[in-house]
Amino acid sequence: MTAPTSSGLKFLSNALATPEQLSNSSSSIDGVAPDLEASIRFAGALLTQAAGVYLRLSQDIIAQAIVTFTRFWIGADGGSLRIYNVQDISAAALYLTAKLSFQPTSPRSILNVYGFLMSKEASPLWCTNPSPVTKEPPNPETYVLTEGQYQARRLGLMRTEARILRTLGFNTHVALPHTVSLTYLQTLGVAAPAVARRVFEHLNAALLSPQLLYVTHQPNALAVAAIYLAAREEGVKLVNSEWWEVFDVDREELGFLVVAMRSMEGFARAELEKWKGRAVPMTVEEVEAEIERRRVEGE
Amino acid sequence: MSSKSRWANDDDPETEAILAQRKREKEEKRRAKAEKQRQLDEQQQQQQQRQEAKLQAQLQDHNSTQADAPPPSKRRRLSNDHDQARQSPQPSKPNTTAEGNNLLTLPASEWGPCRHVDNFERLNHIEEGSYGFVSRAKDITTGEIVALKKLKLEPTSPEGFPVTGLREIQTLFEARHQNIIELREVVMGTKMDEVYLVMPFLEHDLKTLLDDMREPFLPSETKTLLLQIISGLDFLHAQWIMHRDLKTSNLLMNNRGEIKIADFGMARYYGDPPPPKLTQLVVTLWYRAPELLLGADKYGPEIDLWSIGCIFGELLGKEPLLQGKNEVDQVSKIFALTGPPTTQTWPEFRSLPNAKSLRLPSSASAPGSGAAHPPLLPRGKFPYLTNEGLRLLSSLLALNPNARPSAKQCLAHPYFREDPRPKPKEMFPTFPSKAGQEKRRRRETPEAPKRGQEAPKLDFASVFGGAQAGADGPEAGAGFTLRLG
Repeated sequence: MTAPTSSGLKFLSNALATPEQLSNSSSSIDGVAPDLEASIRFAGALLTQAAGVYLRLSQDIIAQAIVTFTRFWIGADGGSLRIYNVQDISAAALYLTAKLSFQPTSPRSILNVYGFLMSKEASPLWCTNPSPVTKEPPNPETYVLTEGQYQARRLGLMRTEARILRTLGFNTHVALPHTVSLTYLQTLGVAAPAVARRVFEHLNAALLSPQLLYVTHQPNALAVAAIYLAAREEGVKLVNSEWWEVFDVDREELGFLVVAMRSMEGFARAELEKWKGRAVPMTVEEVEAEIERRRVEGE
Repeated sequence: MSSKSRWANDDDPETEAILAQRKREKEEKRRAKAEKQRQLDEQQQQQQQRQEAKLQAQLQDHNSTQADAPPPSKRRRLSNDHDQARQSPQPSKPNTTAEGNNLLTLPASEWGPCRHVDNFERLNHIEEGSYGFVSRAKDITTGEIVALKKLKLEPTSPEGFPVTGLREIQTLFEARHQNIIELREVVMGTKMDEVYLVMPFLEHDLKTLLDDMREPFLPSETKTLLLQIISGLDFLHAQWIMHRDLKTSNLLMNNRGEIKIADFGMARYYGDPPPPKLTQLVVTLWYRAPELLLGADKYGPEIDLWSIGCIFGELLGKEPLLQGKNEVDQVSKIFALTGPPTTQTWPEFRSLPNAKSLRLPSSASAPGSGAAHPPLLPRGKFPYLTNEGLRLLSSLLALNPNARPSAKQCLAHPYFREDPRPKPKEMFPTFPSKAGQEKRRRRETPEAPKRGQEAPKLDFASVFGGAQAGADGPEAGAGFTLRLG
């Protein structure tokens, strides 16, 4: 009788990073400082989220793409920031995830959106275009791809896609906590839409967490932590017992996740402050330049 | 005495001394190791306690501090509980907490880069399907015999890695069930377009087996096979996966009477409501449901149950049930067996794209099938089948997809509970394996439709149209087909 339960649960669970994978990343072996790696990964996840919104993809596809993007950089066998461009991995992760979903998107749409978001003049993203946004619409010449550029980038996109698949051993399955969290809310008898909204906000913010919550914790734990936090913030009283155990989450894990989710806002603000007036390095050359700059500064 | 080497001279005191010395050394080493392990354990325990205390503190003070609390240090899972997780892949193993409650641990897999195909030694070629070559191979490190399926990839595909291949891998990874082939891992060659699926090797496929058998399976054996196929399918549908290419050559069987659904090259996820723009070009012609032939672009898991009906018929008669030469012929063969659709049995069929050209014989609406829901197939076609069996088969081969039972309903059908009971798997006869060493002869089964092909514009005018065709068409259903010898 155990087999059906476990096989049914596979759909709701994720592959998690091993302690070895978490303790050394390919980038850190290549000499990228941990804080720089965290910043770049955060900016890459933001870029993926923004691109998904511009492509009008639904949030579940975007969230899955961010998890795939995050997994790619983890572990000694993962990708290194000194070998792969963050923007390329982000684009390929989004393309790959959309292709497997009910809402596939074309390479041209992907490349157009990334061309726009990566443009130093036109992009509305703080991490690629640090200069304040002007009132006039940006000059299209600063972001529209030529046909030649498109063809070259399309080939690059396909190559990067294959690279991601190989690095992840074709493990493209990502289970998300969003739907599960709604079921949990119903089970807890919480009907306030404000709580549900806040839960989703926490779950989406956690995608960007430097603590890599989606590759270290199962969806049920993420959902429970988001509910705990959202109910507290919205002043909604939950049952007066250790309800999280009903959803197979222990107190310790819940505590860790709640702290981690609460720290997201502070982390995002700190990042914004840290990179004020500068673009976060998103290509191998920019990463090299940043490492060089830090080296010179350190001397 | 027994610990002494068999080759040692019994009467040589020097050897004995050396052996004793060695034994002592070994003992010492073992003790040192145990000591080290104990220290390590202790250390880990302390670490764990420290960590727990820290987390408790965090939990307590997060209630009091404000939102700009510093990010907590990344939690590292301790290596010992990681080992534990690895040793117990069974997720249902209860995890007892301090409070004594049982928590379910979700099954956590891992990911890692693809291994190289050179880890396998290819033994012999098994088959070339529409989606790739399959060969028998040996895992060089473990010596295990596996099946290696090379995916067919076009290096210049405009969409990148083909979505069919991705879906095959994703659905197979997720479908872990005793009646579904297990995808162990994906390995790659040196080039990016060499992708191989590693699966356990099974001795037979049902198609070849049926071809080589003198007599069809016994009724009890048929039930066992069918039950296994349907429970595999039930699992797939429960995971929202449509197989879309069920046929006897995609059902693999080992010498222990176990059957496994294979070849997920057409499989995909579906939803409720179904995803838009599903391709109609799915399922090998002989197993293709009538709504697909008539051009429906909205369809669901019912198409798999039609295929099950065709497989059921094939198990009974040893021959594929509906061997159409092309789409039009297939439709006429179907209607010859089931009788043409009527507005009572299948109200929606008139609105299907290809139904416009279909001219039904005017007398066809007459047969007293009106109330029967769905109508029974002609008994003469299946002389040895019990009434319950015929009822199940007729419902699976119902023209109206809504009238077909779900896989779960099939499993509960009285056919499987009446005598003769399904034969225990262990009692199954064994057969010589063709895939084991011999090369197979090519079969004339039509291939699964190629993805990206244009769906043909079909003209069904000739299905019942020609007067001469009418002679062998609808009449074929009547009369016994009892073959002697």
